[in-house]
Amino acid sequence: MSSKNLSETIEKILSDEREVRAATAPYQAEFPYERDEEAQVTRREFCGFLAVTSTALFLGAAGFAGKAAYDSTKIEAFPPLKIEGAKDLQIGSALNFRYPTEIDTAILIRAADGNFYAFGQKCTHLSCPVYYAKESDRLECPCHEAGFDVKTGNVLYGPPPRPLDRIAVEMRDDGEVWATGRIAGGHES
Amino acid sequence: MNGENNKFKSSRGITAIFQAKLVLMVMINLAQLWILSAAVEAALARHYKELLPLVIASGVCWLISLSIIFWWKPVRRR
Repeated sequence: MSSKNLSETIEKILSDEREVRAATAPYQAEFPYERDEEAQVTRREFCGFLAVTSTALFLGAAGFAGKAAYDSTKIEAFPPLKIEGAKDLQIGSALNFRYPTEIDTAILIRAADGNFYAFGQKCTHLSCPVYYAKESDRLECPCHEAGFDVKTGNVLYGPPPRPLDRIAVEMRDDGEVWATGRIAGGHES
Repeated sequence: MNGENNKFKSSRGITAIFQAKLVLMVMINLAQLWILSAAVEAALARHYKELLPLVIASGVCWLISLSIIFWWKPVRRR
């Protein structure tokens, strides 16, 4: 809206107000009504507003908790996906893949015990990509110096509030490794 | 004159009570705001065990605020 239009609108509103006041002036003497006084809020009214706010805050907390609890009961099913290159992965090394969609980056680790472990690559703090630190045998986030257990995805140190999202993997008869599901970290607790 | 003084004193008492109610309500609202933010943070962090105590705490605050509004009435001096 241009400044001219804005000033025209303001002028129209003000002129309407003036017209209403002029039209109602004869009745003001019989039914005194002061808008300024009406605009004031008494303590009692303000207490009422606060009670309504209190109700809204309680319903908000209950509703949010209920929604979260309901969401926690739903486990999404994702189609299995063969992880290319996992067959030849050496012990103590990792590779990146995408699961369940092309925008969900994940990391597959072959730990010192020879087993495969896979996690979503987004740090649960601020979504920086985590990497596998071979020398310490854990997943680390370089942004805020967080560490995750390589077998469970649990937070070892740092600011993340919950474990990494875990990706279920299985080794099939031909030696290939398949991702078969994704479970949000902390979902089990 | 004496009656006016008593009326003035009585009015002052009621005003003070409403002022106290107002302050209590504001404090309860602040506590509930904090509880709501804690519930949101717990839910996003998937700490579901923390949600029920937070909702109960918010409910208790709500009941207290209702009791302040509906049941805390000033008692007239004899």
